[in-house]
Order: sequence, then structure tokens, then C-alpha cells
Amino acid sequence: MIRQRGYTLLEIVVTLAVFGIFLLIIVLLTADMRANEKRYPINYMAHPEVSSVMARLRRDIFDTTYYPQNFQSYEQTSRTLLLYTIDQTGFGKTVVYDFRTKGEVHRKEFNASDLTSEWVAHGVPDFQFTDYTLKTGQVAARISATDSQGRLAIDEIFVPRPHP
Amino acid sequence: MSKSRGFTLIEVLVALLVLTIVITTTIAMFVERHKRLKEANETILAYQALSNEAEIWRRVAFAQLDAEPPTFQSDTAILAPLNPYSTSVKIDTPRADVKSVTFTIRWSNAQRTAKLSIVRADTGGSGLW
Repeated sequence: MIRQRGYTLLEIVVTLAVFGIFLLIIVLLTADMRANEKRYPINYMAHPEVSSVMARLRRDIFDTTYYPQNFQSYEQTSRTLLLYTIDQTGFGKTVVYDFRTKGEVHRKEFNASDLTSEWVAHGVPDFQFTDYTLKTGQVAARISATDSQGRLAIDEIFVPRPHP
Repeated sequence: MSKSRGFTLIEVLVALLVLTIVITTTIAMFVERHKRLKEANETILAYQALSNEAEIWRRVAFAQLDAEPPTFQSDTAILAPLNPYSTSVKIDTPRADVKSVTFTIRWSNAQRTAKLSIVRADTGGSGLW
């Protein structure tokens, strides 16, 4: 009797079919994942630094009484946000958010003309500030940020609370 | 006695069963993780839009609330990845001096929903929330 070596055609076909099914599943999943990556912006809210910046911005803007056009060497632009806010003790202070350096947010706090505090957040997206006027005429601050692909990832409107 | 070589049928079947379980579990985990990540991304975007809308409706005068159109007033560009989606605003009046404003976003053929409610009280125009 001749002893045969190797596999039969049927065995090879079945093995390839099973392998092909797994391959197809992996390809479909990867394609779906890629499509979602293209569709959705980066979830910056999961980053502690970004959350801190947003929380601080929210608090400062809530307490804002007005937006100065200029302060020292700073000017109110889409990349530099100037606020005049009331602190917990009831005193006014000027706060400057500087978004001009890529990947950084600088926050400076001034008592009159003296710098009283400064912090920098690193590894953050490029923030931008625009004003947003409500139907009531009140001017809100709209903070937005895009990811490296230009997709809108953060878009939040903060309205200063009414001050007497 | 002839010495047989190779694996028995039972051995091959058990090995295949183990392999199938491992591969199926891995793929299922992969799919579930992917699904949850997608849902989390969508929820983050939806709640940014809801939060913006709440900010705007907080400033609408109490007496004016019912006269407002039941649609979102803010720019909802952030919701673009959820397209097609729908938005709505519903106002309930549990008491004469209290109104509950609920903002809703529906997407994925209305299978997914995000809601945010704010309660407005009639403060007599004092500017308080």
C-alpha cells in the first residue's frame, strides 16, 4: 500500500475557508474602526489637563462682569481672552487666557496691574475664543478647539451670570 | 501492536474548541470595546451641545419660555459626526412658578438619546436662575 503524504484538497479548502472567515471579520472590524476614527474628533474631555482648563474657564466666565478690549500688552482676540471677573471675596481681577502657543494654555491673573498667579496647561488642543450674543443681548463666550485633523472637538458656550 | 502517530480525534476536537473559544471571546471583546468607545465619543459630543443649549435657555425670561420655539437655538456644529440627528425642547409646568425645560438629542435612527433638564423658577425678573 502506498502511503500518501500531505493534505487532501478538501482539507486545504476547509482550512482556508475558516481562516478566510476570521480574516474577513478582522478586516471588517478594522475598517469600521478606521471609519469611526475619521468621523469622530479626539475625545479631549478625557484628558485631565483639558478638563482643568475647561473647568477654570467656566468658572472665570461665569463670574465675568465685562470683557476688556485691552490689558497691558494683551488685546482681546480669538486667541487671547481677556476677562474682568469677581473672585470669592467680591474683589475684581483681570484674567488673561493666552491660547497663542500651540498645545498650551496660559492663564494669568492680575490684581490691578500686578500679576498674582499664573499657570500653564500643556498638551492641550488649539483653543479659540469667539463671542456669542444671546437673543437677550447678553454676550457669552464660546470656547472651541479642533483636533489635529481640523475636526471640532470642543465647542462650549459659557454665559456670565447676572451681576447686580 | 502498531504504534500510531499523530493526534486522536478527541485531541483535535478539544484543541479546536479551545481555539474557537479564545478567538470568539477576543473578537467579542474587541467589538464591545469598539462599540463603547464610539458611544462614549457620541455622548461627549451630545452633552456639549445640550450644555450649550441649557446655558442659552437659562437666560430666557421666565415669562418668555413658552413662547420660544421648541428647537435648539445654539450652533450644533459639534453634532456633525452624529448626523443624522434631531433635537427638541420640551417645557413642562409642574407648578405655576416652576418650569422644567428638557433638551433632547436623538441619533442612530433614534436608538440613542441624550437628555438634559433644567428647572426654571419664576423669580419675578430678579435675574436669578
